[in-house]
Amino acid sequence: MSLKLFVKELNGNRVEGELIRTILYSLLVSFGLLALLYFFKLRYIENFMPKYGLLLFLSALSYSILLPSIRQVRAYKEFACMSGMMIGMTVGMISGFLAGFYVGAANGMFYGSLFGMMIGITFGVYNGLCCGIMGFMEGITAGFMGGLMGAMSSIMMINDHLKAASIIMFIISSFILIGLNYMIYKETKENERQVNEDYIFTVFASLILTSVTTWMIIFGPRGGIFS
Amino acid sequence: MKNATILIIIATIVVSVGAFVLVNGNVKENPDEEIKGNNIQEITLGIKNYNYYPNTITVKEGIPVRISLDKSVTGCLRSFTIRDFGVAKVLRTPEDYIEFVPDKKGTFTFACSMGMGRGKLIVE
Repeated sequence: MSLKLFVKELNGNRVEGELIRTILYSLLVSFGLLALLYFFKLRYIENFMPKYGLLLFLSALSYSILLPSIRQVRAYKEFACMSGMMIGMTVGMISGFLAGFYVGAANGMFYGSLFGMMIGITFGVYNGLCCGIMGFMEGITAGFMGGLMGAMSSIMMINDHLKAASIIMFIISSFILIGLNYMIYKETKENERQVNEDYIFTVFASLILTSVTTWMIIFGPRGGIFS
Repeated sequence: MKNATILIIIATIVVSVGAFVLVNGNVKENPDEEIKGNNIQEITLGIKNYNYYPNTITVKEGIPVRISLDKSVTGCLRSFTIRDFGVAKVLRTPEDYIEFVPDKKGTFTFACSMGMGRGKLIVE
C-alpha cells in the first residue's frame, strides 16, 4: 500500500518528487566531466577503456544513485534513532563498499580500502548524524567495514569475472539504496520537510566525487600486484 | 518535466554511455605469438617463507618465458598473475604453466591474484 504511495510520491511535491531529477543531474555532471576528460586527456592513455572504462562508468552511476538518499536525509534533517542508525549504516556501507570495490580493482587492496573507508565513513557519518551519536557511530563503523570489504572483494575477483561482479554489485547496491529511499519515505510521510534546497549540493558532490575517483583510479598510487 | 520523461532520459544516457564503454572496453589482444624452437626460458617457482621462491626472476627480452609452480605452492598462490604482460591463470597442477613473451624491458611485479605472494620479474 505505502509502496504504491511512494511510487505516486515520486511525482509529487515532497522531496521524493526530486529523487529522480537528482539522479539525472548527478549523471549529467559526472558523465559530462568524464566526457571532457576523455576528449582532452584520457583517450591518449594506453588501454584506457579496457582498464578503467567500466570502473569509471560504474562509479559515476553509483554516486548518482547514492546522492538521492543524501538529499532525502538532508530534507528531513532529524530522524528517530532506529531510522538514523539504518540510514547511517546503509549509506556508509554501500558508499564505502562501492568506492572501495572500484578503486581496489585498479589500485590494489591498500589504496582501495583507504579510499573506500574515507568515502564510506564521510557519508556514513554525514547521514548518520541525523539521529545523533548512534547514527554517527553506525556510520563510522559501516563506512570502515564497507571500504575494507569492497577493496578485498575486488582483489579476490581479479582473475574471476571482475567486470560481471562489478555490475552485479552495482545492481544490488542500487536496490538497497532504493529500499532506503522507501524506508525514509515511510518514516517521514507524516512529517513536514525541514530544508528546501536546489541542486547545487548534488552538482557539487557529483563533481568532487567523480573527479577524486577518476584521479585515484587513473593516476593514484598503486600497491600490491599493481605496483 | 515529468518523471517518466526524466527516466527515459536517464535510461538513454546510461545505455549510450554503457554501450560506448562496452564496445571500446575489449582488450585489443595481440595475435598469439607462435613460439618456435626450444628457445624458451623455463622457470619453476616454489614456496619459501610464505612467498614465491625465488621471488626475483631475471629473463631476457623477446625470448618466450614459461613459468610453472611446483607442488609446494598451494591455495590462492596457484592463481598466478603478471598484470603488465596480461598473464592471469590458475595453475592447478605442477604440470600447468603460463607462457608469454616479455616484449618490454623493466622490472615488473608477479603475484597471486590477491597480491599475498609477490615477486619481481626483471626483463633485461
